[in-house]
Amino acid sequence: MATTLPRLARPTPPARPLIAAGCGFALLAVVGYLSLSQGAVGLSPGEVWSGLTSTSDSFARSVVWQIRYPRLVDAMIVGASLAVAGSLLQGVTRNPLGDPTILGMTAAAGLASAIALVISPQINQWALTMSCVAGGLFGAAVLFVIAWRGTVSPVRLALSGVALSAFFGAAIVGLLSSSRTFLQTSLGFLAGGLYAAEWDRMHAALPYAVPAFVAAVLLAGRLNVLALGDEVAAGLGVLTDRTRLLVLVVAGILTAVAVSIAGLVSFVGLICPHLARMTVGADNRYSIPIAGLYGAILVSGADVFARVVISPSEIPFGIVTAGIGAPFLLYLVKARG
Amino acid sequence: MRLAAEALSLGYGARTVVREVSVTISAGEMVAIIGPNGSGKSTLLRGLARLHRPSSGRVLLGENDIRSMAARDVARVLAILPQSPAAGVDLTVRELVWRGRYPHQGILQRATAPDFEAVNWALGAADVESLAERTLGSLSGGERQRAWIALALAQRPKVLLLDEPTSFLDIQHQVEVMHLLRRLNEDGMTVVLVLHDLLLAARFADRVLALREGQVAFDGPPLAVFEPRNLERLFNVPMMVLMDPETGCPVPLPRSVRRDIAAGAAP
Repeated sequence: MATTLPRLARPTPPARPLIAAGCGFALLAVVGYLSLSQGAVGLSPGEVWSGLTSTSDSFARSVVWQIRYPRLVDAMIVGASLAVAGSLLQGVTRNPLGDPTILGMTAAAGLASAIALVISPQINQWALTMSCVAGGLFGAAVLFVIAWRGTVSPVRLALSGVALSAFFGAAIVGLLSSSRTFLQTSLGFLAGGLYAAEWDRMHAALPYAVPAFVAAVLLAGRLNVLALGDEVAAGLGVLTDRTRLLVLVVAGILTAVAVSIAGLVSFVGLICPHLARMTVGADNRYSIPIAGLYGAILVSGADVFARVVISPSEIPFGIVTAGIGAPFLLYLVKARG
Repeated sequence: MRLAAEALSLGYGARTVVREVSVTISAGEMVAIIGPNGSGKSTLLRGLARLHRPSSGRVLLGENDIRSMAARDVARVLAILPQSPAAGVDLTVRELVWRGRYPHQGILQRATAPDFEAVNWALGAADVESLAERTLGSLSGGERQRAWIALALAQRPKVLLLDEPTSFLDIQHQVEVMHLLRRLNEDGMTVVLVLHDLLLAARFADRVLALREGQVAFDGPPLAVFEPRNLERLFNVPMMVLMDPETGCPVPLPRSVRRDIAAGAAP
């Protein structure tokens, strides 16, 4: 502890977020390298480098630049979006089970994109992302109604989320299975995968993702105060209902961003916020960005694993995150009673 | 800083809970709001803090209508501590108290010297410096209440409103909290608190505001308000008021006791 400066009353020693960020970025670099070099074809460090920086080696260029690099960037955006969305949801619902999947937001965004795909199979990526965002916002609106005034118990919130997830999920499967052409890609969509990751998904998602990330960071201070209860927060000058609405909207957009790129990915939004709070404490101004970083690591790492585990074929990375997330959920249930 | 209600009515939907209350609380006063359950004490307190939109009338903070001020600007001069604030807040005392600086901090702004100063002062004033690194869950009821008071103090308020700050505390902790509030008041802070405990109101407040059915029934120093007749009208039970021989403070008591004792005491 900072015994040398006893009069200095800091909320969190800022060393911890810095250390967490440093370690996180180092780990992300390692995972990023693995993501670029591993897969159906292994590449050497030199080949990865030349693939990233020049067009001289056309094979390395196409593997690294056309396939793996966009996939890595997509994975990072998906992970960061879900983790930040999860942080926002856990904060606004004061519920450790706040997670876009558990609360039905992922399924709402997924259903919207499934509907868009069925209505117009040749839909372009921009329109698809837009319909995903509309679905995410619908999920946010439903949650806002349920969590109105924050008086709803964690159990009721989780249960209504489960009900929404089941309903939307069934609708998604029904829609996708009624149109045979999508069966090929729909496994990746349902389980969370990055099979056909290309630049266009990211380009379509960034106009939503960037403002949403900025908004999430700006809302962190208010979320800190909201955690103290509505009455206390209002006394501290936070407009609680407006803040709740803003936070849910931002979470809905971030969830939609992730769904538009990788389909239905579970547990990332649950695990990462908890890991972030364990390492940097409960101050959202630190824990939200750190959760985003952890999310980027988790999803890009899971995607590498999903590619190499049955190489040259691959599994949807969502299976990997679910494999990590399900035991983590059980641990939370046990540890928190 | 002066806090005044002008013909203030507050309600929930069609139900009016506070009816046309006009009261002026001058800078530096320590006012206890008493009254039976459902008389509108907490609602009045929330209305004074801008947490409850008036159905008619207004609240003046200084010279300004509190509704015309931004919530954040109000929070810089007026702090309110609700009754038994949220359980399950898993923070250290220091982290909690830091959040009291919210109304003074800009978005993304780093902590400034006045922030550190205010947090240290609040920890000291509420006597929770030694508990600063403990989590709220590990504290006793009295310690936790002082930690929440420290949160309100970190706002550096000129006016401090508290809703039953002594409920669920044992006598020692009740007295500690009241002494703390009295000390703050003597240093110039206006303190308004809802109290169920008449004894504490009689001993620590300058002025007692008694509410009945949403209206001010009695308003004055404890000695004037704590007349048996007044208290009987207020609470609908026979009351007597003794005089504390050491302090001269009124000691309000219900006259009802166990039947056997009442029978034995009869001549």
